[in-house]
Parts: sequence; structure tokens; C-alpha cells
Amino acid sequence: MSRKRSRNIFIATCITPAIMLFALFMVVPTFEVFRMSLYNWGGLSGNKTFIGFNNFKVLWNDMRFIQSFQNSVLLIVLVAVLTIVVAIFFASVLTKEKVFATNFFRIVFYIPNILSVVIIAGIFSAVYNPRTGLLNSILGLLNLEQLQRQWLGNQDIVIYSLAGALVWQAIGYYMVMYMSGMASIPESYYEAASLEGAGKFKQFSAITLPLIWNNLRTTLTFYIISTINLSFLLVTAMTGGGPDGSTEVFLSYMYSQAYSNSTYGYGMAIGVVVFTFSFVLAAVVSRITKREVLEF
Amino acid sequence: MKMKHVFLAMMLMLLVVLAACGGGDTEETDTGEDTTGNDTEETTDDSPSEPQTLHVAALESAYGVDVWEKIIAAYEEAHGNVTIDLTIERNIEEVMRPNMQAGEYPDVFLLATDREEALTETMIKENALASLEDMLTMNVFGEQVTVEDKLLDGFTDTLATNPYADGETYLAPMFYSPTGLFYNANLLEEYGWDAPTTWDEMFELGEKALAEDIYLFTYPVAGYFDTLLRSMLYASGDVDLFNAAMTYEEGVWESAEGRRVLETIEKLADYTHPDTVANANPNDFVRNQQLVLDNEAIFMPNGTWVVGEMAEAPRVDGFEWGMMPVPAFEEGGTRYAFTFFEQVWVPSQAENVEGGKEFISFLYSDQAAEIFLEAGAAQPIEGIVNMMDDEQAFFYSIYSNDVLPAMGTFASTTPVPGVSIGDELYVKIDSVMSGRVTVDEWVNSLEQANDSLRPAMN
Repeated sequence: MSRKRSRNIFIATCITPAIMLFALFMVVPTFEVFRMSLYNWGGLSGNKTFIGFNNFKVLWNDMRFIQSFQNSVLLIVLVAVLTIVVAIFFASVLTKEKVFATNFFRIVFYIPNILSVVIIAGIFSAVYNPRTGLLNSILGLLNLEQLQRQWLGNQDIVIYSLAGALVWQAIGYYMVMYMSGMASIPESYYEAASLEGAGKFKQFSAITLPLIWNNLRTTLTFYIISTINLSFLLVTAMTGGGPDGSTEVFLSYMYSQAYSNSTYGYGMAIGVVVFTFSFVLAAVVSRITKREVLEF
Repeated sequence: MKMKHVFLAMMLMLLVVLAACGGGDTEETDTGEDTTGNDTEETTDDSPSEPQTLHVAALESAYGVDVWEKIIAAYEEAHGNVTIDLTIERNIEEVMRPNMQAGEYPDVFLLATDREEALTETMIKENALASLEDMLTMNVFGEQVTVEDKLLDGFTDTLATNPYADGETYLAPMFYSPTGLFYNANLLEEYGWDAPTTWDEMFELGEKALAEDIYLFTYPVAGYFDTLLRSMLYASGDVDLFNAAMTYEEGVWESAEGRRVLETIEKLADYTHPDTVANANPNDFVRNQQLVLDNEAIFMPNGTWVVGEMAEAPRVDGFEWGMMPVPAFEEGGTRYAFTFFEQVWVPSQAENVEGGKEFISFLYSDQAAEIFLEAGAAQPIEGIVNMMDDEQAFFYSIYSNDVLPAMGTFASTTPVPGVSIGDELYVKIDSVMSGRVTVDEWVNSLEQANDSLRPAMN
């Protein structure tokens, strides 16, 4: 046996288990989702009827689905934008400024990320409590009674209340990621810039931002995936999609259709849309943010 | 070469792990005693001399696990020839669904409709239940009376037990519980207010209460309107309107009687505690129930379980639970209190269908009823109220000459994607309360939903 051949066999044997597992647990189920979306099926018995793209036609006219889709898109945009701004701000303050107890703050910011979503739901339902909640109490203390709201009851703002909880939860994680990017930028760049008379903001926009750009791009994909997933968990635990569908996101709608409404095939059709949407969105975002990677 | 050995060993380990995972699909069961019974040994022969194994699945509800273990012990002792394998979990749907999808069905399943995961509804919609007609004519296990005769009247005439509206029973009624409007009896007494019997009196009381800074009404979550609305349908247009609504008849919500139910709900919005909608979610609904305990709201739709649910909650001094049927629309009109009950059923693909039916008949025996009653669950059988203690009997004696039980649920349909009558009728109430949806819009969306569901009825 030639050396090359035996090496190839070795490589093939090494990767076969991984490929098998990947195929079994990722490719096959994904394929099944696509296949099931073409059936009318309750989900339990053997009575499946093939109905082609009918589920998708119904989906196109389903106002509740469209509402949940809008909610999801709104959440993805809001959470990504707010978290990026806040996380980058704190990351640059904590790495570049001489702040008291940097490590302490880093841990404090990170804590929400290790909490389970159910606990976050509990915390925020206490924060948003109309009567004794933190938010309304603080507004009352500051004599801003006119700003007090039914944070989880007013259908116009409940989706923003949800976004608030998601941002709070996400900041720490992304802040740590940006901090690690910033920490690897050589200090000499900033020294040179300040000798040239560049202010803090100029330093940030001309040095920090371009050099962590790649880091930032990667996290954009994370925002899309994690918001889709976490919003489902948070909605399930905190608002149940209510009041009257105002906080329904597409995964929670998919769940209620696949199970509560016994239309498993239709639920899978929603799954196909969500799958395609998140894939395309991630690809588009990655494409339009592509810049030449700066070396340092 | 050494590397190859290490690699081989690792592959072997991986295989072992995979094999172990693959073999691990015997479901976790919480058995009363250690069962040696193994599903594959089960025989379909149900002659009494052959030992048989029965697989029972049940939802672990507020009544606890103990009660089922006692029932099973009693049945095994009485029968002598059966071993029962019990699976009881709080998330029973999640535990059983994969097994059922793989074709392993329990022989008896205690799981009501109207649950989030809707496993029972799915079984109904897929025509996967065994008919229980012959069980009704069987003698109650160990007694000389047929199941049919022993059950309270009306319990097997509803769409909740005969889902296809053809008179055939597929789900047996279990654990009935009257629902109604719950309140603090002491509060009404303190102010000298009478419990209203008509909606006009109800709204008068609402005005009086508002003057005292008390709101007339609150609800835990919009889903609790199911019992209230169905009682109102009975009160507004009798059984005809109710059945028309439950079978998605055209124009039922546009009719004067149907409309007045929805209009009453809309009017109720003016008297509903302002925090209600904000708390009407799975996380915070107890806060709405607390409003009643704190004298901030008077009435809420609920069932007898709320007494146990709020047992540990703080309350105003002198608080005393009261329950009244839903007000009538006219003076002297009949009032209704919806009777909520759970269901037990046999999957048609179960291995031991006959054994399952026999077990269900035992659940209506006096012996079983007493065991259930100890845990607070009342079986819908003749003479059950006599077995109760005073507190229990108070709630169950709500029915009288002018207060009738309302029972039943929506007719089953084949799955219709994107249309849920529960969403349109109950969940929408959150929007009606906030004024976002008018009665006209509500009627329209209900009629539209009915148009899609009517042709899909089984």
C-alpha cells in the first residue's frame, strides 16, 4: 500500500463518523422539513396527503403569519442595531479608558448571558410589572408619570419591551467579543494617532472600527440566528405571543401551527420559510459588509 | 501503527456509544411498582386467564401522582391478572409524542383537550381514537351497573366526548369541575351588594364598584373565556345557538343572539381592571387572580382548581371564595355554569384496546371515585356529591333549577392550516379589551374562520 493511499484511507476513516453524524442529524432532518412542508399532516397518524405547494399558498394569505414575520424582522433589526451600538461603546470604554474595576464590569455585563431565558423572562416580567415594576416605579420616582406604560399590555409597545429584554441579554456576550478584537490592536497606533492630534472619536472611527470590522461581520450573522432562536424562547416564557399575537414571532407561530393547530405540514412550511429567510439574510448581510481585511 | 490502534479503539468506542444511544429508546416510566412487564411480551389475547400488561399514560395534574398509583394498585388487586405500566408526567405530550409517532401507543391515555400541545385534538382530527360505545354498555368493573347508567346525564352527549357529532362516544369524561365567576363573597357582603343575576345588574354593580375604586372584572388569560363564552352562548340562545356556534354554522355570530354575547364582552372591557391585559400571559396570570384576592377586582372566570392554586397567596382579611353562574341576558332567564371535564381515551392503534376499555370502566367504580375524590377530583357519576365534604359540595351544588350545566366544545375538523377558532374567539379578546378590535371586526373574523372550518368538519 502506497503511503499516499494509506494516508487517504486514514483521512477518510477519520472524517466518516463526523460526516455520518452530520448527515443523520442535520441533513436528513432538514430534508424532512422540506418534504413534510408539501403534505397535509396532523403530525401523529399515518394519514398524510401530498398537496404540493398548497401550504405555501395559504401562508401567503395568512395575516397572523405576516404579523409574526414582521415582528421577527423588527426584533432582528432592533436587537442587532441597539446591541452593536451599546456593546461597542462599552467595549471601547473598557479596553481603551482607564476605568475603575474593568474586570468587575466585564463580569457584570456578561452575567445576563449565562442566565436561562426563563429566568430572564421572570426578571423582565417583574421589571415591566405595571404596578410594582422597576420601570414604572423609577418613572414615578422621577415624576415622569406620563411616561408610565403597560409595558406588556399595550399592543403598540410590547414588542419593544421584548426587544429591551433581548438587548439586555445580548450586550455582555458581544461586548466581550468586541473587547477581544480591540485588545489585539497594537497600542502604538493610538499613540501615533494622538501625536497627530486625532481625538477619541477619530481614533475610534479610523483605527478601532476598521480593525475590528471582520469581528463585527461575524457577529452580524450571530445576531440573526440568536435573535430568531431567543425571541421564540422569550416569547414562549414571557408573553405567550400575546396580547392577541402582538409578540408572536415566526418560530412561535410555527410551533402553534405545528402542534396546537394540528397542522404539522403547515408548520413545516413555515419552517422552510424561516430557514430560507435566515440563510438568505445572513448571506446578504455578509455580502454587503464585505471589505478588504486590514492586516496589522 | 500505534496511531492506527488508538484510532481503531476510538472508532470502537464511538460505535458502542452510538449503539447505546440507539438502544435507549425504552421510554422513561414512572411505575407504581417495579414492572417486569416489557412491551414486547405483551399479548393481544385478552382472555382473563392470560396475564396482560396495560400501558397507561396520564397527565400529572394538580391532583398528583399518588392518586394514580393508588388507582392502579386497586385495579391490579381487583383484576388479579393485569400489570399496569404507568407513564405520568407533567409534559406527557412531549414524552409520548415520539413514541406515538414511532407507532407505540399507550392503551389508555388521560389527557384533556384544550391543552397547548393539542395532542388529543390531533388524535381526534386524525381519526385515531377507538370508539368507546361498547365500553358504555359494559358493566363498571366490579359492579352490577353499566357505565352508561352510572354516568351523570348529558356527559356523553357533548362534542367533547363525541367529537364527530354523530352520537358515537370516543372520549370518556373524567374529573368534572364546575366553572363560573369567582369572587370574594365577603367583599359583596361588606358593601351590601348582591351577586348579579343578569348582565344589566352586573353592569350596575360595575358602576357602583367603580365609585369605590374597585373594578368589576378581570381574567387570568384570554383562554379562560372559553368556559365563560360558552355559558354565555347557552344563556343567550339556548342549546341551539351553542350547537350552531360549535359546528361553525354560517351567520351564527351575525345573529342577534350571537352578537349580543360579543357585545357584552366588549362592554365588559370598560369595567375590566386596567392591568389585566398586561398580566394575561403564561408568566403573570396569577397576578390577575391576585387582583381578586386583594379586592381590586370583583369577578374572574375560573374553575374550582383556583382555590388550590391560590391557597398560599396572601389575601385581604375575611376573604371567602364565592362562585356564581354566568349572569342571564334577561330577567328570570336560565343561567349556566360551564362544566369543565377532562377526557380519557384509547388510541385505535393500541395493542390492548379491550383491556384499555375495561380499565376505563373501573375508573367509574365507587372505589375509584373515592380515591380520586381524596385528591380533589370528582368523577361524573351518580351520587358523587354525597361522597364529598362540605367545601367541595358547595361548588358542585351550584346547579339547581334555574342554573344548568353547559357542556361541550367545538366540533372536530380535519387540520386547517392557519385557522384556529380559539385564536379568533378567545385570544382576540385581549384586542377587544384594549379597543383595537370592534365587535364588527370580531364578527367578521369569526365568520371568516367559520367559513374555512365548516367544510373541514369530520
